[in-house]
Amino acid sequence: MNAQLPRSKAAKRLALLEKFSPVLAVLVAMAVASIALIIIGKNPLVVYGTMFYFAFGRMDSIANILYKATPLIFAGIACAVGFRVGLFNIGVEGQYLIGVLCAASVGFAVKGLPVYIHLPLTILAGAAGGALWALVPIWLKLKRGVHEVITTIMLNHTAFLFVQFLVAGPLMDKTQVIGPAGGGFGSLRARTPALLPTARMPDLHGTLEKIGINFPAGSVNWFLILALLAAVGLWYLLWKTPFGLELRAVGHNPKAAETAGIRSNAVIFRTFLLSGAVAGLAGLSDLLGYFGYLDIDFPRNFGFTGIAVALVGRNGAVGIVLASVLFGFLSRGGMGILIIEKVPMETYYILQGLIILCIVMASEVIRRYARAQQKKEEASANA
Amino acid sequence: MLSPELLASAIRMAVPIIITAVGAIYSERSGIVNIGLEGMMIVGAFAGAAGGVFLGPFGGILVGMLAGAFMALIHAYASIQFKVDQIVSGTAINILAYGLVRFAAISIFRMATTTPHVDHLPAITVPLLAGIPWLKPILTHVSPLVFVAFLLVPLTAWIMNRTVFGLRLRSVGEYPLAAETLGVNVYLMKYSGVIISGALAGLSGAYLSVEHTGMYVEGMTQGLGFIALAAMIFGNWKPGGAMLAGLLFGFAQALSFRLVSEAIPFQFIKMIPYLLTIVVLAGWSRRSRPPAAAGVPYERGESA
Repeated sequence: MNAQLPRSKAAKRLALLEKFSPVLAVLVAMAVASIALIIIGKNPLVVYGTMFYFAFGRMDSIANILYKATPLIFAGIACAVGFRVGLFNIGVEGQYLIGVLCAASVGFAVKGLPVYIHLPLTILAGAAGGALWALVPIWLKLKRGVHEVITTIMLNHTAFLFVQFLVAGPLMDKTQVIGPAGGGFGSLRARTPALLPTARMPDLHGTLEKIGINFPAGSVNWFLILALLAAVGLWYLLWKTPFGLELRAVGHNPKAAETAGIRSNAVIFRTFLLSGAVAGLAGLSDLLGYFGYLDIDFPRNFGFTGIAVALVGRNGAVGIVLASVLFGFLSRGGMGILIIEKVPMETYYILQGLIILCIVMASEVIRRYARAQQKKEEASANA
Repeated sequence: MLSPELLASAIRMAVPIIITAVGAIYSERSGIVNIGLEGMMIVGAFAGAAGGVFLGPFGGILVGMLAGAFMALIHAYASIQFKVDQIVSGTAINILAYGLVRFAAISIFRMATTTPHVDHLPAITVPLLAGIPWLKPILTHVSPLVFVAFLLVPLTAWIMNRTVFGLRLRSVGEYPLAAETLGVNVYLMKYSGVIISGALAGLSGAYLSVEHTGMYVEGMTQGLGFIALAAMIFGNWKPGGAMLAGLLFGFAQALSFRLVSEAIPFQFIKMIPYLLTIVVLAGWSRRSRPPAAAGVPYERGESA
C-alpha cells in the first residue's frame, strides 16, 4: 500500500479498482442476498427498488438515514482505530453500552449544572465508560497474552447483563406513573429516570431549516456534527500526528516498529483505550438526542455494524462516513421493504454479513490482479 | 452442594460446549481459526428445530449438522480460497447467521425469534447402572447426544493421533509448506477441518434446540460458541482437555441455575460463565500452545 507503484496505466487502473472495490462488493452482496429473496418468492429487483425508493424518495427517510448513520460513524471509527494498530475490537458493543450507562447516570443524577457544563460532562462520562470497559481486555492481552476477541465478547455479554441489572434495579425510575396514563401496562418499566434537559443534545432541525433543508421529522441532532468532527479527528490523528505515525507503524509490523524505537505495547494500549473511548460515544446520539433515558430495549448491534463500517470504509475517515450512510440507508430501506413488500427487515443483517465477506474477498482479488499485472510487466521488461 | 442432580445438570450444560470445542479442534488443527462457531451453533439450533418440525428429531439433528457445515463452508471458502482474515470472516459468519435465522424464522413460521415445539430424540436410560441411587439422575432419561459428545472425545483423540487423516490435518496446521512438499493436499485438509467443526457446531446447536429446550429461541446460544473456543484453548487444543474445560464451564452454568433462588440478582449469576471464561484464559493463555500456523493463510506454491 505504502510503496508507490510506478504510475503506469495498469497501476492507475488498479488504484481506481481499489477505490471502487467497496461499491463492487456491495453490489455482489446484494446479488447473493437475492437468493434468499427468490426463495421466499420475491423479485429481488422489486425489493431493492422499493428499498431505494423508500430510502431516497422521502425527506423523513433522508433524516432517518443520517440519524442511523450517526452512531455507526463513532462505532466505525472505534473499530478502525483498532484495525489500524492490528487489534480486533469486537467489544465496541459492550463499550458503548457501558458508555451509555455512565452518560445516563451523569445525565440524571448530577443536578444544578448549566447546559454548557452538564452536556460536555455527560458526553465525557460516555467516553470514559467506553475506555474503562476497554481497559480490561487490553490489559489482559498485554500482561497475560489473552486474545482480545474472546475477552471482549465475554465482556459484551457481561456489559449487557450489568446494564440490565442496573436499569431494572438500583437505577430504575421509581417515580413512573403506572397504568394507561403513563403508557405502561401496570408495572414499572425497566428504565432510568429521565435525563435532565441540561444533559440533552439539541436537534439539528432548526439550524438546518435556516440553511433551507427542511427535515419533516426524525431526530438528527448535533451528534451528527460531532461524528463528522470525530472522522476529521481520525484523519488528523492518523496522518498528521507523531502518535498516528507510531500507531500505523505498529499496526504494520510491531517488531519493526520496536526496532525503530517505538514502544509497541504502549502504543497498542493507548490506541485500544482510544478505541474504547470513541466506542463510548456511539450510543449517545440515541440516548441524549432521542430517548432521554436508558432502558432495557436500548438499540443494540452498533458495535457489530461498526466492524462492517470500518471494513467497507477501509479504516479511513471519508470511507467510514460514507459506509455509515450506506448502512443507514440499508437499515432504513429494510424498514421500507418490511412495510411495503412484507419482506423481513432482517435482510439488512444478511446483507451486512455478506458485505463484510465480499469486501475482504474483493481486496484479495485485487491483490491477485495486481500481482498478475506486475508479473506481466516484469516479463515484458525482460523481453 | 455436589448433589447428583447438580452433576446431571452440569453434564447437560457441558454437552454443547464439549461438542463445539471438540469440533473446533479439527478446524484449529488444520490452521483455521474459527470464530464463527457461535453463528454455526445458532444456525444449527434453528435448522435443527425447523427440521425437527417437519422431519422429526432425527431429521432435525441431521439438518442442523448440515446447516452448520454449510456456514462452515462459507468460512472455509473465504479464508482458504481468498485468504481473508479469519477473524473478520468468522465475525461475518456470526452476523450472517443472526440475519439468516431471523429471516428464515419469519418466512417459515411467521415468528422472528422462536420455532414451534419439537419432539426430542428417544431418551436413554442406562440399564443396571441407573439403579445405583447416586448415578440415577445422571443416567436416567439421558439424551443420546450426551453419549455422542463423550464418545467424540476419545474418537477425536484417536483420529488426531492414530490416523493418517489426523496426522495430515495436524501437519497442515503446523507447517503447511512441508505438508505440501510431502504430497498432502493442504486445501483439502483445511476444508475438511473447517467443515467438520461446522457440522459439530451445528450438532451442538441442534442439541440445544431439539434436546435441551424443545424449540428454538433466539439468543439460546448465549455466547456458548465463544465459550467453547475458550474451552478448546484451555484444553490446549486436545480433546481430553477440551472435555474437562467443557465440564468446568458446564458446571459453572449448572451452578448458576441453582443459585437463582438466593439473594444475588440473577444478572450477576448469569455473568459467571463469561467471567469464568476470562479468568481461566487469563490464568492459562501463557502456557497454551496453539498450532504454529493457526490463523496464517496458506498460499499454494508461494514458498517463503
